[in-house]
Amino acid sequence: MIETRLGEFEEVILLLAGILGEEAYAFKIAEEFESQTKRSVSIGAVHSTLTRLEEKGFLKSEMGKATAERGGRRKRIYTITAYGKKTLTAAKEFKQALWDQFPGFATSKLSFVYS
Amino acid sequence: MSVNTKPPKLAIRLLNTFLRDDLVEEVQGDLDEKFQKDLKRESRYKAKWNYWYQTLNYLRPFAIKKFKRLSAMNNQLLGNYFKISARNILKHKMISVINVFSLAIGLAACVVIYLFVSDEQSFDSFHSKSSLIYRLDEVQKFTGTNEQRVALSMPGMGPALKRDFPEVNIYVRFWLRGKQLMIKDETKQLIDNVMVVDSTFFDIFDFPLVHGDVNTCLNRPLTILLTESTALKFFKSTEEALNKTIFWDDRDYQITGILKDVPENSHIQFEALMSMVTYTKGENNVNNSWGGNWMTTYLLLDPNSNIKRMEEKFPKFLSSHMDDPQINSYYKLFLQRLDQVHLASNDIEHDYINYRKFNGSYLMIFYVIAGFILVIAAVNFMNLTTARASHRWKEIGVRKTIGAKKLQLFGQFIFESVMLAGIALTVALLLDILLIPMLNDLIGRQLSIAQLFHNVWQLVAVLLATLSLGIITGIYPSFYMTSFDLSRLLKGGNKGEGKSVLRSTLVVIQFGLAIGMIVSTLIVIQQLSFMKESDIGFDKDQMLLVNMNNEANEKFETIKKELQKQSMIKGVTASGQRLGNNLHQWGFKVKADTGVLSITPSNVNVDYDYLTVYGMEMKEGRGFSKDNLNDNGRAFVINESFANELKLKETIGTRAGHDWYHNDSLGTIIGVVKDFNFNSLHYKVNTLALVVHPEWGYNELSVKIEKGRNAEGIAAVKKVWDELVPSYPFDYTFLDAHFEEVYRSDKQMSAVVTIMAGLSILISCIGLFGLAAITIEQKTKEIGVRKVLGATESQITVLLSRNFAGLIGIAFVIVSPVAYLTLQRWLETFAYRIEINLLVFVAGGVLALVIGMLVISYHTLRSARANPVQALRYE
Repeated sequence: MIETRLGEFEEVILLLAGILGEEAYAFKIAEEFESQTKRSVSIGAVHSTLTRLEEKGFLKSEMGKATAERGGRRKRIYTITAYGKKTLTAAKEFKQALWDQFPGFATSKLSFVYS
Repeated sequence: MSVNTKPPKLAIRLLNTFLRDDLVEEVQGDLDEKFQKDLKRESRYKAKWNYWYQTLNYLRPFAIKKFKRLSAMNNQLLGNYFKISARNILKHKMISVINVFSLAIGLAACVVIYLFVSDEQSFDSFHSKSSLIYRLDEVQKFTGTNEQRVALSMPGMGPALKRDFPEVNIYVRFWLRGKQLMIKDETKQLIDNVMVVDSTFFDIFDFPLVHGDVNTCLNRPLTILLTESTALKFFKSTEEALNKTIFWDDRDYQITGILKDVPENSHIQFEALMSMVTYTKGENNVNNSWGGNWMTTYLLLDPNSNIKRMEEKFPKFLSSHMDDPQINSYYKLFLQRLDQVHLASNDIEHDYINYRKFNGSYLMIFYVIAGFILVIAAVNFMNLTTARASHRWKEIGVRKTIGAKKLQLFGQFIFESVMLAGIALTVALLLDILLIPMLNDLIGRQLSIAQLFHNVWQLVAVLLATLSLGIITGIYPSFYMTSFDLSRLLKGGNKGEGKSVLRSTLVVIQFGLAIGMIVSTLIVIQQLSFMKESDIGFDKDQMLLVNMNNEANEKFETIKKELQKQSMIKGVTASGQRLGNNLHQWGFKVKADTGVLSITPSNVNVDYDYLTVYGMEMKEGRGFSKDNLNDNGRAFVINESFANELKLKETIGTRAGHDWYHNDSLGTIIGVVKDFNFNSLHYKVNTLALVVHPEWGYNELSVKIEKGRNAEGIAAVKKVWDELVPSYPFDYTFLDAHFEEVYRSDKQMSAVVTIMAGLSILISCIGLFGLAAITIEQKTKEIGVRKVLGATESQITVLLSRNFAGLIGIAFVIVSPVAYLTLQRWLETFAYRIEINLLVFVAGGVLALVIGMLVISYHTLRSARANPVQALRYE
């Protein structure tokens, strides 16, 4: 059975893939990850996650056009699927629901019970 | 872009070898882009480094190639390897037998050494807190005596250490009472190694208690714990013994617990333990006793303790508890971890609680020897296989023509050598099963091959070691054989074997090690027999020692008179301590012209005729005499070392006495005895004072028995004893047996070295035999031609032997200085030692040469005598 839930790292990678759009390939995503999170990551780790996300159906990929800048080698461009978007939204809403129940950060007025 | 700004080539190659083909393009592109970007931001070095990092990070399941599953084919391949290997092994029976046997002997020796070493290292490992247990030892430096490291400490030290040092969690003290007579109704038994211990005993050590309460059994005075076998000497069952009383030294002791018998690998061996509270209650509380060192203290330390820092604080500790301002010039305390007590106490004296003490540095020597043996055996294998390569040219050639890859050929040869190693291991284990019992007899151990199978890891290690031995010894021959040029092979050409530098080097190594071990054996044996035979200044042979109690002391004169009537008894005397170790030291004063000198020599209380019975020679003055009333307690005989230390103008007649004598009522030094080695020959003779003090009581009766009449003598002494001393059983030993025990560690080392030297020369010779067979076979034609042209048999023999003799000669020249220096260092651990005689080296070298030549003479003579016609028809 394919695991369909999203891990934290997977979620970030998926979001980054969505953000980068046409430029979403392993190296770029890894770079973006490092600059946004200030955590270092290897391209291999990102690539492995992308492959997994693709297996789960959150991403699809195809080889892009050859460019001169990397020795004429093509890139694999990842695009987020409709299912992927839906899962991301669900994850966000679930978290929002949790946040709303969290007294310290709820938007309503704080109410402490003294007794 | 300069050449140097390309990603590291090796990393790219690595990536290509493991990366899935369909990923190569994108990954290489990504990594390349990353690299270029890094180059702009960081140093070239860092960028390359990062490229490697990224490459290695692609070693993930999703990215690596699926290796082709060829199990069916692999099985076939292995099956083929097996078949060919088996055929080859069987085809060259002599060589295979030589290979297997030399490896097997090597492996068998290594297994034995491993068993021996792990037996020694298993000492005290069964205590769960062993890494936190330390023994408190002292370095003593008393005036007038050699500096000594001792395992004793003062009774007050343990409790004070616990109070003063937060690092000390618990202390336990042992007070060794030795052999004691215990009585239960009619049963009288001598119980050995009776000890008095603190109630914290079980908090530190894990000696299992079978019956009784671990927490309380040592809490009350007059309680005793017996081991199972001790209890069974008095009671029918161990349950029955619990809570009964047993009588010792005029008092009843309650048995509050039964201990399991102490395992063989414990340095602390006891048969009964008494509670220390017995001696800490009342006015003579030993906890406040300072000054005398007669207990052994162990500490359980906090895991975070810093031993060095603790030892630095010891001087302050001592001066705070003892009044003497000089105390720190006499004593230095130090801690010894539990695992060191058994293996690193060889320089520690007064070490009475240390069963089977072993010199741990010998273990290293054993490992080195095991390594040597294995190298010698492995060399045989490599030499014989490469020398035999010519026999397999055709096979290799045909295989290559059919399309065998180098790797496959390689695999075939490695497989063959691993197979041989496997067979060798089996033979080795069989040999061990046969030989270990014999070895056990020789060195007094209970080693067993079964120990190897108790632990899976040991077994795995042995198998892995054999496997790697097979691979390592197989690598060189495999390289050698697969490197042949195909066309030359099939033409039957020659790849210049016969003179191989490597092969010669290996023979040199082999014989170098063998000669080194022969020489070492000769020197070690010389030193040990020197210790056995050398004049230690008294007669230790034929001396029967009998344990004495109060009654025996009271009736000493009667016993002596009765025994002297017997014809086979040459002398009867008694002493407070036994020879063969250091004797107890205590303060001694000498009244010199300059004032009263305080000195701390060893002291011993002896009977009047002790010096005569032991054959100790006087240098000056006279020995003790019963006719002289003052000789009882007020006359001293000192040894030469002591006299030299005193440097008096006139030693004889000088006033002297023990520490507690009043300065006005000192005795006299009546004689100087020539130095005798009362301690082991590892130590220099210490200063010694002898005194006759019958009231103190003697510990042992010494009876000198005529040679060859031991049985009669023992029976006679027993008869007299049983008549006169009904209260104490006749318990004896011989002094030379005690000396055997003193040199046990050295003797066992010499036994192992001797056996290993024998094995190494054996294995080397087996190898030489095989090598000679091969090289001479290759020279068959040459010999034929020479004979036809008129060479004599002896000329040919010389021609064939010359080469090997030369190699043995080179080995001798290389190894001699190394062996000399090593042996010199070993000998320096003895205060009394032999000089290394260089003739021993010559003897070792000649021995190796003669054996070597004899071994190959079988082949040389045979080919020298052969009919040249046959030789020329050969091939």
